[in-house]
Amino acid sequence: MSTRRETRLAFWFLLPSAVVLLAVVGYPFLYNIWISLTNWNMFHFRDPSWNNFAQYGYLWREMTDFSGASDFWRIFLKTFAWTGINLVFHFVLGLSAAMLLNQKLPGRTLYRALLILPWAVPQYISALTWRGMFNAEYGAVNLILAKVGLEPISWFSGEFTAFGAAIITNIWLGFPFIMVIALGGLQSIPEELYEAARIDGAGPVRRFFRITLPMLKPVLMPALVLGTIWTFNNLNVIWLVTDQGLPADKSHILVTYVYKAAFFYYRYGYAAAFSVFIFLVLWMIVRMYNRVARTEAY
Amino acid sequence: MRRAWRQVWLHLGVWAFVLFSVYPVLQVLTTSLRPGDQLYSTELNLIPDNWTFDAYRIMLTEKPFLLWMRNSIIVALGTALIGVVLASIGGFALSRYRFRGHGAALQGILMTQMFPATMLLLPLYLLMRKLYLVDTLGGVMIAYVATALPFCVWTMKGYYDTIPVALNEAALIDGCSPLQAFVRVTLPLSAPALVITGLFSFMTGWSEFMVARVMLNSKELMTLPLGLESLFTTYQTEWANYAAGSLLVSLPVVVLFLLLNRYLVSGLTLGSVKG
Amino acid sequence: MKILLRASFLLPVLLIAGLAVSCGRVDHSRRVILWEQMDPKEQEEYDRHLAGFRAAHPEFADFQFERVHYRPEDLQTQFQTAALAYGGPSLVYGPADKVGVYAIMGLLMPIDDLLPAEEIARFDPQALPIINDKVYGLPDNVGNHLTLVANMALMDSIPDNTDDWLRQLRETTIDADGDGKPEQYGLVFNLLEPFWLVPWLGGFGGWVMDEEFRPTLDTEAMVGALDFLKELKDSRVVPLECDYPLADTIFMEGRAAYIINGPWSWQGYRDAGLDIRLAPIPRVSETGKWPTPMTSAKCFSVNAYLNEETRACTAALLEFMTSTRVQLELARSLSVQPSDLEARKDPYIMQDATLRASRDQIDKGRLMPIVPEMRAIWDAMRPNYQSVLNGELSPDEAARRMQQRAETMIKRMRE
Repeated sequence: MSTRRETRLAFWFLLPSAVVLLAVVGYPFLYNIWISLTNWNMFHFRDPSWNNFAQYGYLWREMTDFSGASDFWRIFLKTFAWTGINLVFHFVLGLSAAMLLNQKLPGRTLYRALLILPWAVPQYISALTWRGMFNAEYGAVNLILAKVGLEPISWFSGEFTAFGAAIITNIWLGFPFIMVIALGGLQSIPEELYEAARIDGAGPVRRFFRITLPMLKPVLMPALVLGTIWTFNNLNVIWLVTDQGLPADKSHILVTYVYKAAFFYYRYGYAAAFSVFIFLVLWMIVRMYNRVARTEAY
Repeated sequence: MRRAWRQVWLHLGVWAFVLFSVYPVLQVLTTSLRPGDQLYSTELNLIPDNWTFDAYRIMLTEKPFLLWMRNSIIVALGTALIGVVLASIGGFALSRYRFRGHGAALQGILMTQMFPATMLLLPLYLLMRKLYLVDTLGGVMIAYVATALPFCVWTMKGYYDTIPVALNEAALIDGCSPLQAFVRVTLPLSAPALVITGLFSFMTGWSEFMVARVMLNSKELMTLPLGLESLFTTYQTEWANYAAGSLLVSLPVVVLFLLLNRYLVSGLTLGSVKG
Repeated sequence: MKILLRASFLLPVLLIAGLAVSCGRVDHSRRVILWEQMDPKEQEEYDRHLAGFRAAHPEFADFQFERVHYRPEDLQTQFQTAALAYGGPSLVYGPADKVGVYAIMGLLMPIDDLLPAEEIARFDPQALPIINDKVYGLPDNVGNHLTLVANMALMDSIPDNTDDWLRQLRETTIDADGDGKPEQYGLVFNLLEPFWLVPWLGGFGGWVMDEEFRPTLDTEAMVGALDFLKELKDSRVVPLECDYPLADTIFMEGRAAYIINGPWSWQGYRDAGLDIRLAPIPRVSETGKWPTPMTSAKCFSVNAYLNEETRACTAALLEFMTSTRVQLELARSLSVQPSDLEARKDPYIMQDATLRASRDQIDKGRLMPIVPEMRAIWDAMRPNYQSVLNGELSPDEAARRMQQRAETMIKRMRE
């Protein structure tokens, strides 16, 4: 399909990206696989030795321990819940905001600038601020709930409420990103299509699902796939909002668990094996995406 | 009449979002105006008693804030420029040309994001050290470009997919080389995607902390996130300064977004409509 | 034409890359670098003393000295990462328990290899981090101990036993408008970290580990301590959910009678205008024992891969920063206890009110173990302690789980 000349151009076009990615990600990835096959921990820090698949054995042990001592499956399911709920809200809110801001509105530019603030403000302070807002006695969230007549919630005392607090924070942090992408995508939808649909008698809902969504798909797909991966592996927000896993270490997802294994217990071999596991899980998820979506991306 | 109602609903909707987005940021503002270093307060006022701009003054004069900003600008702009260039050409290749390994390349780019970043840092440091890129802004830039590339390449590719091939082919027939066709025809049409790519790459370089922490050790090279983090100690943190710094750090991003906003509106309005 | 286009693509890229790569190349040959996690005041003191060092040692005039500040978690990861590549700073400053970890990893040079034995004998042996019979750090102060801090504007006297103290706490918790949220609390402290649990563990007669470094968490003492803290929370003399920043804020606003906090915070409260007095945490009435907050030293340690050229200078700097004179000055400005035995005999140290009260508490405290097992123990205590306060676990069950978890994690760490 492509001429020789074009193939050559394609090669040169892809080369710089490939070099950068192979160096910065490819090499560390292979290195990690090596680490996962050693016994690297604090007692063998300078001289780790070959350990075959022992670390994977420990991971297996963790996974098959149903005596209650292992938190593996709880953490595993939590990660999926975390990812799914976040994505749904990111997209719904991001799309809604984009559609609102696409309309002719006085002060539209100002509104866009304001709505981008969650993305612009450094994540660390935002997460901590939200944590303060969820404080049971003094937090803004409970104060607002009280004003509306609802019962204040002890957010960080319960497993699900703490999780909810982290999710709400992450939704706040993430929706502007989708909004910006959707805004960009909305620009390329020709007005004529809407006109034609309107003339044909299609209502706003119909127009959205038949025109807007399909035309946004190519632009939103990368965001969806990558958003899934990023949210799945998002360490910072949970760590900061729940103060390392409140309450009682119950708010962990897979990556925070890996982080603890590596940097609190110095079990680097184990953490590497666990990371490979996470990688495989994500790979399978993305493969499923491809099968279900069957987009023209392929 | 109906139009008026529509306007009202629109405004209400927008204001709901604005409130949601802005309220926590106002809390940060309050912290920055509060004397003494307190993150929380039991008072509810937006403007605290004895409010003061001290934190801002301290950040701008007593701390090397401008130095941090200089470094961050270099890194972020560099990341944005390199990122846009690499993504625009890489995405184009993946969109237009079907070659052997096409699918693998797409998947491969995606796979680079799947491995937890925390574990990649150590080997990255070791590699960068071998390349003498540790403690340089260039090394950090390269790492950021790699972080931002997958999304940017995919986005550009997705966008290119919506631009009719016919336009390209018309240019080729007119005697342009593939490269010229790309630069003269395709690129201008992808302005919104370029904006997103540029903004995203810039943000990656501007607000990232972990990689910078590992790679940069010299005080002269600290970027803004590193500078802000230096205000933390075991228990006592200069919260007011940190909050003030955070808001100052957010400003350029908002400004950048405002500047680029109008390019989000181009695309087909540039007069290349088919037919 | 084509080549021109291609070149114009690459030019800006190369330009920026070149710029960035070249700027910031630093020459490390005659640099003595310190990585630390100090508080701002400690940093100031260090800089001041560094100037003194340079004045006193003109032979090192062509050396450059640099201090890089890190957050505690970051310092550890950074140092490990850098040391793996045989790089890193010349000196590291941090708490003694981190030194234990670095030593086991093989990242540190024993002080015995750098300074003569007489120098090391200057220090309180209790404060020296020793792993496998080698000293791996030199402390410049001892402390970090939780102490009872009272806001004297809200009371007349400080009880010395928990029964009287609890009574006073109830009296000083005032909810004038009856909305369930007290305007004034009797006590605030960080309810989340087991660091605040440990003193009470000692007060009820227990401790975190035995001489063989095995965890001893499933004990009557632990149950007693957990019970006591649960009671504190249930009687609502402390806020519902209280983390460190909140406790700090409430006390600073003058809305709490007591706070339990460490030396790093006291001056801040004074600066805020509060009339505070320090006292030992009250004796537990049931057992008659004094609570034992953990004390630890902060040390300078030396990188195992110390650059040969900087060896002499580093050794001299190390000696200077932990010298008797400097420790006395630190004690004056930061209200910390010296680790140097001579310095402790100094009249100022003996007589200053704050230092005396502080020492009172230290004497009743206990040294924090620096072995890596401690990490597993903290991690085992934290979630179960929080569950007790939430009402989700009974103290008995929590103690049992703590022990189990600690033992498992210690085993795993060694795998």
